[in-house]
Amino acid sequence: MKKINGNNLTFWLFLAPVLLAFLMIIVIPFFVGAFYSLTDWNATARTGAELKFVGLKNFTDSFADPAFLYSFIITTIFTIINVIAINVVSIALALVVTSKLKLRNLHRVGFFIPYLIGGLILGYLWQFIFNNAVPAIGKAIPFMGFLADPENLLLSKVGTSVIALVIVASWQYAGYIMMIYVAAIEAVPTSLYEAAKIDGVNAWQRFRYITVPMIAQAFTITMFLTLVNSFKQFDVNYALTAGGPATIFMDKPIYGTELLAMNIYRTAFVSNNLAAGQARAVIFFIVLVIITLVQVRINKKKEIEL
Amino acid sequence: MKRILIVLLVLILSAGIFFSCSKENNKAPITMMQNKPEIDAALQAYGKIWTGKSGTEITIKSVGGSTGADLGQQLRADYAAGEMPDIFIIAGVEDYKEWESIILDLSDEAWVEKTSVAFTKDGKVFGFPVAVEGWGMAYNADILAKAGVNPAGLTTIGAYKTACAKIDSMKAELGLDSVISMAASADMGWVTAHHNFNSLLSNGLPYGDLSVVNDLLAGKVDKKRLSEYADWVELLFNYADKTVLTTGNYDSQVGAFATGKAAFLHQGNWTDPNMASANATFDMAFAPHGSMSTPTEGIFVAAPSFYVINKESKNIKAAKQFLNDMVFTDEGNNYMVNEAGMIPAYSNVTLNPAGKLSKSVQEWAAAGKVYSWSQYYFTNDFRDQSLAPIYNQFANGSIGKVEFIRYMTEAFEGLK
Repeated sequence: MKKINGNNLTFWLFLAPVLLAFLMIIVIPFFVGAFYSLTDWNATARTGAELKFVGLKNFTDSFADPAFLYSFIITTIFTIINVIAINVVSIALALVVTSKLKLRNLHRVGFFIPYLIGGLILGYLWQFIFNNAVPAIGKAIPFMGFLADPENLLLSKVGTSVIALVIVASWQYAGYIMMIYVAAIEAVPTSLYEAAKIDGVNAWQRFRYITVPMIAQAFTITMFLTLVNSFKQFDVNYALTAGGPATIFMDKPIYGTELLAMNIYRTAFVSNNLAAGQARAVIFFIVLVIITLVQVRINKKKEIEL
Repeated sequence: MKRILIVLLVLILSAGIFFSCSKENNKAPITMMQNKPEIDAALQAYGKIWTGKSGTEITIKSVGGSTGADLGQQLRADYAAGEMPDIFIIAGVEDYKEWESIILDLSDEAWVEKTSVAFTKDGKVFGFPVAVEGWGMAYNADILAKAGVNPAGLTTIGAYKTACAKIDSMKAELGLDSVISMAASADMGWVTAHHNFNSLLSNGLPYGDLSVVNDLLAGKVDKKRLSEYADWVELLFNYADKTVLTTGNYDSQVGAFATGKAAFLHQGNWTDPNMASANATFDMAFAPHGSMSTPTEGIFVAAPSFYVINKESKNIKAAKQFLNDMVFTDEGNNYMVNEAGMIPAYSNVTLNPAGKLSKSVQEWAAAGKVYSWSQYYFTNDFRDQSLAPIYNQFANGSIGKVEFIRYMTEAFEGLK
């Protein structure tokens, strides 16, 4: 046998804590979870409840459940709107704070701070704004009376509740994405802009034909982050709408703004069917991996090297 | 191969740093989990007093109310994580079945003789009744007097219709936003699909009569009873404040009543602490749920939740002691009745709660005019995931009474 290489050992020793943590909290739970999705496991202390192997039943049941199919659709809709909203807002903010603005560092901090507030707190905070503060404004200002009409409360209808979710999620996340755009925009050589200016290029064209292609690698990251985050949205959903209001889908009354993560949570902990929840989480994982791989591939093609 | 061996060795070594063993001991701290956020402050304070006397640390966790997650969800998560509390709450037989194998037999405890409403199964006592609770239609006596409505007559749906119409026409004069404070948002499914639902199950029936429950569980729906019940739900929703009804939480629902903006409140005597903190000084009491055309004179009263002890607890002795002390020490009695404002379920406790709604529950109970709480014979899943969205849509106006009856019928037929 070969002697243990000193350098090698040091290398692995330094890596060990991270490797262990990664193994314990990501790799092992993932495979244990995948295993449980094939059983009828539930975390209660019923007598005579033993772990039984049920094959793919949890998966087929999931696809037969209108609530799960519906949450797929509503999550997709939410994700599309949310990705667009966050990216548009954060590019706009990034352009503002990279321009020659007074106190621009203060603005950067200001836009970034919502990201540091937890989603649950944000959810309850905005719930208060939508349900109490907005009607109060409607009552106080005469020509804004429509705001006080209960028919116009954002959280009272499914469609507008999704918009409310987008507003809160964008408000929280746009500052963070803005920082990535700021870094990318600042890395664009000013000489390009100067040359363009001399050629008589206007501001929109400078943005469209210089800034956008030059920050393409930032798009890869931001699209990935916003896509994954929107798809995994849970805490804001949980605190802001709690899945309500209800709706009818495939002739079954279900919760109208129950996004996928929340549907998985409810299947596991409200319906007390942890194995089925686990199966849905596996489906969720596979779908998410496919979507992000496609997205990264598309975005990568658009990147340019200087 | 060599490399894998090194990695393994390193992992085992560092694992030793991460994990340590815990020992059983007599002074092991105990944890209690309960689902009444309104008594949390009182219970925390009592927990400190008890720790001071007994020397055992007790941690009290409260979940429920408008925080979203309910007790069952938290217990399942904690059980899966191996952090099951030493004392926790079950509500009825469905919960009992869920935790059957870890619930300790408490038949030999001293408090058992002092109560008639402990949770028993097969002749053994398992659950310590937390309190006697009741709900009906809480009313603001001052507003009703001003409107000329006699609460004693509110026993049928007809009487409620007349009374609500009358109060509704005088809203401006009485300073009301709405007649009834009712909530049906996704957060508040427990008001509709748990409490209101019970009107369908037990209103007008002898105490403990499960005929309607058993029929529904078997998928048999009494069309007449359900359609009368739908009229009742419609009445409550029609006279409720739309904002509170469709998007409100517990605070906005109770707050509307406590500040005199609504004449009726669809809640129970657990709102007493909220009334006190909102400085609601008006007279209030419970009127029955007049959900049917035949008079129903009585409100829903029961000891609905029970403390149980986890068999796998590291300090069962302290957990038993904690429950006993609540019944047999002055501090414990003081906490239950004066601080938490609960109606004690124990005959040796001589104190009486000061809350007006609790007093009303005691009066109804003393007169024997009570109906059971039967909603716990249905699973949480059924009530929260199947029924609550139906009520929510009915409240939003996206479905009408005919569809409400149809979806309810379909839900029950699915139970077979």
